Amino acid sequence: MFSRLIYRNAKRNRKENLIYFATLVTAVASFYIILSLGRQDVILFLKEFESDAIDKLLAQMPIVYLFSLFLLFFLTLFANRYQLNRRSKEFGLYLMLGMRKERLILQLLAEGFITSILALIGGILIGGFLAEIISLTVSKLVGQGIIGHQISLSVGAIFFTIVGFLFIQFIALAILGGRLFNQEVHQLLYEQMDKKQDMGHLKGNVINILVGSILLGAAYWIVLYRFMDFAGLILFAALALGSLGTILFMRGFAKLLGLLANMSERKSTKGLHTFTLRQFQENIANRSTSVAVTSILIMLAIILLTDGASTIMGLENVYTRGPAIYDFTVNSDNQKAEQFLTSEKMVSYVEDLNFLEIGQMKYQDEHGEDDLPLSLVDWSKLREQLIMALPSNYREQILSGEMQYYDISSENPEALNLFGVLEIDATKPYLIPETSYNGLLEAIGETPLNLDSDEIALYFNPDFMPMDDVDIMPVLDRILEDALEERQSLMSINDQEVFIHPSIPMRGLVADRSVEITSAFIVPDQMFEQLLDTETYVSYWNFCIPQKLQEQQGLMKAMMEARDLLQSSGFEFESYLQNFGRKLFYVVAGSYTTLYLGFLFLIIACTVIALQFLTQMKQTGQRYVTLSVLGAKRKQMKQSVHRQVLLTFLLPMSLACVSGAVGIRAMISFVIIYFDDQVLLYPIALTFACLVLGIFVIYGVAVARSADHEIDKLRWKPNID
Amino acid sequence: MVRQGKLLEVQDLQKNYGKKNNITKALNGVSFDVLPGEFLGIMGPSGSGKTTLLNCIATIIKPTSGRVLLNGENISAFDSKDLAEYRGSRIGYLFQDFELLDNLTGQENILLPLSIHGIDFAKAHTKLDDLAFFLEITDILNKFPSQMSGGQKQRVAAARSLISNPDIVLADEPTGALDTRSARTLMNKLEGINRSRGRTILMVSHDPNAASFCSRILFIQDGVIFHELRRKHDESQEKFYERILHLLAQLGGGSVNVL
Ligand SMILES: Nc1ncnc2c1ncn2[C@@H]1O[C@H](COP(=O)(O)OP(=O)(O)O)[C@@H](O)[C@H]1O
Ligand SMILES: [Mg+2]
Repeated sequence: MFSRLIYRNAKRNRKENLIYFATLVTAVASFYIILSLGRQDVILFLKEFESDAIDKLLAQMPIVYLFSLFLLFFLTLFANRYQLNRRSKEFGLYLMLGMRKERLILQLLAEGFITSILALIGGILIGGFLAEIISLTVSKLVGQGIIGHQISLSVGAIFFTIVGFLFIQFIALAILGGRLFNQEVHQLLYEQMDKKQDMGHLKGNVINILVGSILLGAAYWIVLYRFMDFAGLILFAALALGSLGTILFMRGFAKLLGLLANMSERKSTKGLHTFTLRQFQENIANRSTSVAVTSILIMLAIILLTDGASTIMGLENVYTRGPAIYDFTVNSDNQKAEQFLTSEKMVSYVEDLNFLEIGQMKYQDEHGEDDLPLSLVDWSKLREQLIMALPSNYREQILSGEMQYYDISSENPEALNLFGVLEIDATKPYLIPETSYNGLLEAIGETPLNLDSDEIALYFNPDFMPMDDVDIMPVLDRILEDALEERQSLMSINDQEVFIHPSIPMRGLVADRSVEITSAFIVPDQMFEQLLDTETYVSYWNFCIPQKLQEQQGLMKAMMEARDLLQSSGFEFESYLQNFGRKLFYVVAGSYTTLYLGFLFLIIACTVIALQFLTQMKQTGQRYVTLSVLGAKRKQMKQSVHRQVLLTFLLPMSLACVSGAVGIRAMISFVIIYFDDQVLLYPIALTFACLVLGIFVIYGVAVARSADHEIDKLRWKPNID
Repeated sequence: MVRQGKLLEVQDLQKNYGKKNNITKALNGVSFDVLPGEFLGIMGPSGSGKTTLLNCIATIIKPTSGRVLLNGENISAFDSKDLAEYRGSRIGYLFQDFELLDNLTGQENILLPLSIHGIDFAKAHTKLDDLAFFLEITDILNKFPSQMSGGQKQRVAAARSLISNPDIVLADEPTGALDTRSARTLMNKLEGINRSRGRTILMVSHDPNAASFCSRILFIQDGVIFHELRRKHDESQEKFYERILHLLAQLGGGSVNVL
């Protein structure tokens, strides 16, 4: 009998209060999604190249999990409290009928347990489904058929979801049960909303609004103009000011609504306008703090989602090939590697095979006065020319010796960057033999260099040398051209005059990062052998995946196959995949958690708003009965309720939008967020705006429908004397 | 006396509560008429069916059988849409526990029926001021119910029931939740409204004191009307009260059937 009651009540709870149950299911699903991250296709894929970084990312997940546990605890507490409030009359009745309080609480826990189990089943199913969808969507976005799909079901995730959820659910019920235990039966039977209608004094409200706005303004100002002061610590001040401002603003706002109601009354207003305003006002006034909290949550959600979305926009960058043209670089003894790369099983994956030699220049045999080695390079004439080509302010700084170090940056004039690089590198420059670089030039379809024996070319690594167009250096070329006309050499090496070749196309020397140099001299092969400091010598085999194979299989797939072959051969190598994986990792790591938390905040805020509204609705149900006796039609009342729902959602959302916009603006101007892809900007912004609005609409409609249901349920209950 | 048309006709009203094997016959064939300008009281002990009767007339509940005609129109046969038109505009209500909306000010409460019915109340302000003056609630119009005394609340409720010039005001134990003094004030006001403004009032009560302000009283027991008292033309309220008490003593002492 007892157990039947429990079962029946649990069932009724779920049916009567879909929002309550949906909240629990959402909590479960959120746990599962964050816990099953390690099983996402893209993560499994990245693990192959960036396992350290991925491990680090996954190691952060328990923190995110605990954080969401913490947040969702409040959500379940709130949902359960709402549910118990709804039923307080019923509990009072049980107690009146002689049920002992211990037993009532035991019954509550048992009911809670049944509901939790069902929420777990539903939540894990939904969470699993969502995780699967996310996994598929992401691998589709990353795409190109490179990521194999695996079912993302994770037993560990299920386990921790169950443990975590039951834990918070139990604590929430225990707290609420304890409170119930201490309540008088009378309180339970006649629990009602605070009867007091503290609509406040106008003066106090105006002050609230004023102070609130000022605090908000101060917070906005800090965020917009003082973002980075005190190592970002001032942001906390901004957050505190903003939160306090939001709370005060909401408090004052509720009361200003009363003024609005007063004003509208003097006009000829029809329908339930005044009533609607007063209901809204009461809802806000009685809970201004939690309205403010939801507003802050929504603001955080908007900022987090924008941040996540901007990171996703970086996805396009993941596919744009940098200056590296080679797909693979094998780093090994040249004979064996060459044999392997030209062997039967590899040959179909290899095109533009090129042997890259690189090494630094020797020093002079004699040492200088202070026993420092002396450079073979004398580039003083070129140096002079470069200084001449500088804008005057820089020129003066350099000539006066004020400039101590050189920033290489895309904002600098070209001459300054060149000057800086050479100033650092030219003493003991890297050397690349002409043939090695010619192989590269051929691979990109350029004509080989064909240097004279006293001619060199300057190489600048486009990865480190920011240039608008990697193939042209107008300032350098002009200097070289002028020198050529005057038959003047700008540099000498080992006391021999050399001429500098006009600028050449520059590309990455290897597939990823095995050679990290800023500049080099490309020299005739003979000169390379003469000048090389043999201790610094390294060599690599570079190759590309053949164009035809790329067209047949797609680049990624062909690369994966080649990679598997190379891996089995035991050669040390690197590939463009690593480069790709690293960039992809930044996108994934940067967006996953922020988006997750963003949606979590949003859902929590919406649930709180929804439950609060329905609580008020339930507690003030009698008012609608009165209205109907005064002649209000159901349609009229529903209309009023729908307006209330709209206003209740709009108010915290509007303020959140303003604050969020300020936050985003600041983050853009301090380049924490940036939108580097104008093409994707609008579709992605639109998608996210729609998602956020969609969530609001779903909640709004759900609340409106529950409220409609309450109104349909209204019956006139005659008071029996 | 000039013969007037009947304002309200209640014809053989029956109301059963509960299901087949457990029926409460709250009203068991009640018939009576209300004339325009009357202040009619209905008295009876607790559980006699007073509230049920009033609610049937008020169209808040549907009678099991019988008819209620207001100005000759059968309002008990109306569907809910037509009923909404009646409620609050042609019929005003006064309840034992006021039923004011506690998040609206007094004035907002009073004007509520007008706005519900989409009546432009720019013109209604003179009417509001007049009513407020008469009911002595001008000072509390901008207060919320929680800031008013019980008597004030009921007078605000009275103003609300009168604002739309209803054909009839139905009051269910309007003094039930008030202390004697406030009850007396309220009844004086209601009587005044009935006398000086000719507003028809139908009031249900088990309080002889309140009932003594009426011009005619019907007695109900077990869902049946079994007696009627009329206040004589020049009879004072105190005298009428004596008569009611006398009758009640008889009823309590002897058998109901005797009367
Ligand atoms: N909603 C209801 N359901 C069942 N019985 C009811 C209901 N309302 C009233 N009754 C019964 O009908 C009878 C008349 O009640 P009521 O009209 O409230 O009497 P009064 O107002 O004169 O005290 C009582 O026996 C009461 O128990
Ligand atoms: Mg009654």
